[in-house]
Amino acid sequence: MTTISAQFRNYREPTKDEAIRSFFNAPPAGPGEIPPTGKDVVEISAVMSLRGEEQSYSGRLYLMPPFLAFISLDKKSARFTLPLYTIRRVEKVNSRAGMFELALVLWHQMKINVQLTSLRPTADAFCAQLRDALKAQLPQMKRLRPFVRVSYSEHLIKEDGEEYMDGEDDVKDGEDQGDADDVQEAKTEFLGGLGLTFKFPGDSKKLREKSKLKLWKEYLRTHGRNATLVRYPSVQRLIQVGLPNRLRGDLWETLSGSIYLRFANQGMYEEILAKHAGETSTSTEDIEKDLNRSLPEYRAYQSEMGIGTLRRVLTAYSWKNREVGYCQAMNILVAAILIYMSEEQAFWLLEVLCNRLLPGYYSPSMHGTLLDQKVFESLVSRCLPIISEHFHEVDVQLSVASLPWFLSLYINSMPMIFAFRIVDCFFAMGPKVLFQVGLAILKINGEKLLEIQDDGGFIHLMRDYFNTLGDSAHPQASDPRMRAITNFQELLVVAFREFSVITDDTIIAERKRHRNEIVTGIESFSKRAAVRNLKDPGQFKKEQLGAIYDTLYRAICNVSASGSGANAIAQLETTDAQGRAETRIDIRTYRIFLSNVATWARDETVVSNAFVERVDRTVAEHELIDRMFFFWDITHRGALSFQDIVTGLNGVMFNDLMSNIEWFFTVHDKDKDGFLSRDDVLQLSESLLFIFRNEIGDAYLGAVSNFMANAFEYGDALQPQINGAVEVAEGERPPEPPTNTPYLNLATFRMVVLADELLESFFDADFSATFKLELAPGPESPSETPGLMAGIGGLLSNLITDENKKTLNRFADELGKSIGRHQVTYRPAIGKVDRDMALQEPKLREPFVSPQMRDRSMSSGSLTSAASNSSLPTPSSELNAPGFLPPQLPTFPALPERTPFAIDEVKDDDEDDEDEDDLVVTAGDESLDEVDAFLQENAD
Amino acid sequence: MRFVQNDFSENKEPTIGAAFLTQKCRLEDRVLRYEIWDTAGQERFHSLAPMYYRNAQAAVVVYDITKATSLEKAKSWVKELQRQANPNIVIALVGNKLDLVQASSGTGGAPGASEEGEEEEPDDATATPGEGEEPAEGEQSLRQVPKEEAAAYAQEAGLLFAETSAKTGEGVVEVFTEIAKKIPIEHILASARGGPAGGRAGAAQGRAQAGNVNLQEGAPGGGKACNC
Repeated sequence: MTTISAQFRNYREPTKDEAIRSFFNAPPAGPGEIPPTGKDVVEISAVMSLRGEEQSYSGRLYLMPPFLAFISLDKKSARFTLPLYTIRRVEKVNSRAGMFELALVLWHQMKINVQLTSLRPTADAFCAQLRDALKAQLPQMKRLRPFVRVSYSEHLIKEDGEEYMDGEDDVKDGEDQGDADDVQEAKTEFLGGLGLTFKFPGDSKKLREKSKLKLWKEYLRTHGRNATLVRYPSVQRLIQVGLPNRLRGDLWETLSGSIYLRFANQGMYEEILAKHAGETSTSTEDIEKDLNRSLPEYRAYQSEMGIGTLRRVLTAYSWKNREVGYCQAMNILVAAILIYMSEEQAFWLLEVLCNRLLPGYYSPSMHGTLLDQKVFESLVSRCLPIISEHFHEVDVQLSVASLPWFLSLYINSMPMIFAFRIVDCFFAMGPKVLFQVGLAILKINGEKLLEIQDDGGFIHLMRDYFNTLGDSAHPQASDPRMRAITNFQELLVVAFREFSVITDDTIIAERKRHRNEIVTGIESFSKRAAVRNLKDPGQFKKEQLGAIYDTLYRAICNVSASGSGANAIAQLETTDAQGRAETRIDIRTYRIFLSNVATWARDETVVSNAFVERVDRTVAEHELIDRMFFFWDITHRGALSFQDIVTGLNGVMFNDLMSNIEWFFTVHDKDKDGFLSRDDVLQLSESLLFIFRNEIGDAYLGAVSNFMANAFEYGDALQPQINGAVEVAEGERPPEPPTNTPYLNLATFRMVVLADELLESFFDADFSATFKLELAPGPESPSETPGLMAGIGGLLSNLITDENKKTLNRFADELGKSIGRHQVTYRPAIGKVDRDMALQEPKLREPFVSPQMRDRSMSSGSLTSAASNSSLPTPSSELNAPGFLPPQLPTFPALPERTPFAIDEVKDDDEDDEDEDDLVVTAGDESLDEVDAFLQENAD
Repeated sequence: MRFVQNDFSENKEPTIGAAFLTQKCRLEDRVLRYEIWDTAGQERFHSLAPMYYRNAQAAVVVYDITKATSLEKAKSWVKELQRQANPNIVIALVGNKLDLVQASSGTGGAPGASEEGEEEEPDDATATPGEGEEPAEGEQSLRQVPKEEAAAYAQEAGLLFAETSAKTGEGVVEVFTEIAKKIPIEHILASARGGPAGGRAGAAQGRAQAGNVNLQEGAPGGGKACNC
């Protein structure tokens, strides 16, 4: 539950090129395939005709290496997606003047003519690009022959003893196939699924397998097959009456385009299996549990052979796509597919399902499923308003029944033979089929649906309906042909006729419309779960935990959005003690996270130009932040979980003076031995300087150098004792001990810190106060980045989208500069000090820094000797009167406890405050005015 | 499964979203109809669960007494239900697979259902690999969750508690009976129109209260992979 997926939030609409590729079932272009122009799809108007068909179609021709694709203007009559490696020859046909026509001869001997109807230069350019692309694919052609040879479609064509059609051409093409190959070819078996061994579901006579096969054989002979199929209108009808069992797998991969993936990645399936042999994961454990429950009524899955096949495909895929891993319902899908396909075919079809056809359905957040349920609901309310209203009235949720329809492509809901026919259409026509069928189911059952009163009634009604799909839809009809129409046939007719208005574009638009709603829903769910599942919420309230979660979430989104793919491992998936998946963040994400929580962990520049004032944030980097990361990483995994972060923040945000000092000490005690080494002390000083880096004035700088001086002084003073009293001559520095030996313990450190008023107040409240949780009122829009959220911008930021904001800011800056009104100031980490210090600066510098420093260095010699006598020098007294330090030492001979210090300090403080209070206020106002005046001067 | 069909099956289709089952039962002089939602076990389906428990009157949260982590997950389910579901929901915490820790074993049973309403149950029904065959090392051999610990938690959180075996059926019916007793049926019936036998009683509004009864979510019950 603590899994945080940023993927969905960072969803971006596909580019036009990507959408075109997706439409043609072509795999997305790899990074190497996109030309420098960034445009990898070229299109042109064309008229396409196929030898043997009378009809020709005008439409658009697309070149998107390695494919050439065509779609007729009506978007359904004719189309093809041809891999360039299946094109054997391209000739320019000399025809009437002005006509530019190409003749393509394909691997399967079909001849396609395309007339390019665009202007001549465009056509010329297209041809040139086609030629280059064809050349590039030439090497692939060699692999085609063994690849298609094992397709069932090839087997079907040649099974009557006809000559293998491309045989003669091999010689012509000069491809060296050799005789041995031919011999082997005769024996080669074709790819197929478990159905070949265990029989296919359904009665083959009733399904009229033979005549269907015959029709397909005719079609495939003239229109190409497997890699070269050209779709003409008749193919639609052939698909809608149900694919023949033996050819089903072959056609599924052709129609869905998974065959191109299998071709491009030959052998990968076996490699994945070999590489992960014997390995287990939560996915493989889940798979094991479901193996025996995947279509158990089918005989193959009562045998080890069938189970083994299913196990291998699911397991291999869980390794291939780790984000998805394994989701229940995939087992049913794969079990069904494997009846008709070989393992490798099924593997690649699953890839197409998860990535393109059912995107996000099976991912850990199941956002695709939720989204499509929402889309379906919205379509129902639009197309079947009466049913929708009734459901609303009786509080029945559509998804209780429709969820499994989509998730398992109806396989789990209907008798298999019917479900497979829907799957046939689904692979051929895409996801809209699922919606059309769903709507048809509701429409057909409309009257009964209006009678149901609750979820249970709905489920029962649907169950009964699915059980009668094979029955006559019109049992009372006098016409025997009418009586022969089954409920299922009626369903398909309604789906494809009455709901033909539901197109791909409808689905795309609806998904877009509801996406944000789903994101918000998922996010609030996982947030709730994450907060609830915290073992130890510390002293935080629920809203604060929510704010921490939000900040963390934004950091993750930020990193994965900026990640250029290769470094997208901002979040690491692990499992917690309960075996739950859990998201951990790496140090990079941590820095971003912290920068949004702690004021000193970011650099904020206040930029004011002529128009607006805004705050730019950048993430700071410092050793301190890294140390905190490892300090919080209690399990030493190099990554923090939500719980780690909550615990870590809890350990610093609610601290009082003493625990803050201790916290700071521990963070810097690298070897955790209870002592700071010299290196640690230096590091600690640097950390302080880092935190104070943007404070105005020198006061903090002074305090830190003060601190360093004191620390080394006391440290040195104690050193001889620890080492066994080394005599140090007056005024001489003691020999430098190795820099990494234990040096300063907590008590001493505390003392040194308390010696400085500024540091004390820093540790007392200011440090904890630098941690601020922003309680975001609502979910941020996906593209918003933390840097911009801090923007002030007023009117402008309301009017402008985030993408434009940066550009506009830059523009305004330039303009501001040009008219001399551009200013950049750093915003300090500790607000309060900024005011105090800015004003007091001139006065403080004298008494606070310089003299003290001078005293310090002067007295250092005497202090050393004095300190060597008393184990723990007191810091309290030196605050106001450093000179009195030695005499006061005996007053507190050994101060192991912190209480006296505290009391003492408080007293001192009070006095000081009283003295300075008035000063501060007045000085403050004055200097503010000064600043204003200064600014104005400069501005003009 | 055990409750509804008095059956325990090792292999059963996994639940996609949730499986829906109904069962009628006699309680004192009334017939109750349980409508049970058996929610999917896999973690990623949990964001879908609210759809099933939104109107539930009762929930059975099942954990596996042979797996300590399953109780933790069950607890987080309980929290979710207490915060998100119907405020009057009756929750029962049920430790399943009792058969595995008893030397004398019975035969099978699955977890239960609810009354007049929906319920989700994770069906721990399925197969526990290796069941039974532990050479009578006696009680506790496989047990990882002491009964006292779970009972104490249930008491503290105000839940019904029982240990059952879906495989043998031990305790299953009792769980549902206890739930039925605890649900304010009179109240529900009063607000629903008429139907003496609960169940579909009310229309819209009646149903929201009366209708669904419980859900049972299971922690990794049996093979069913319910992992909350």
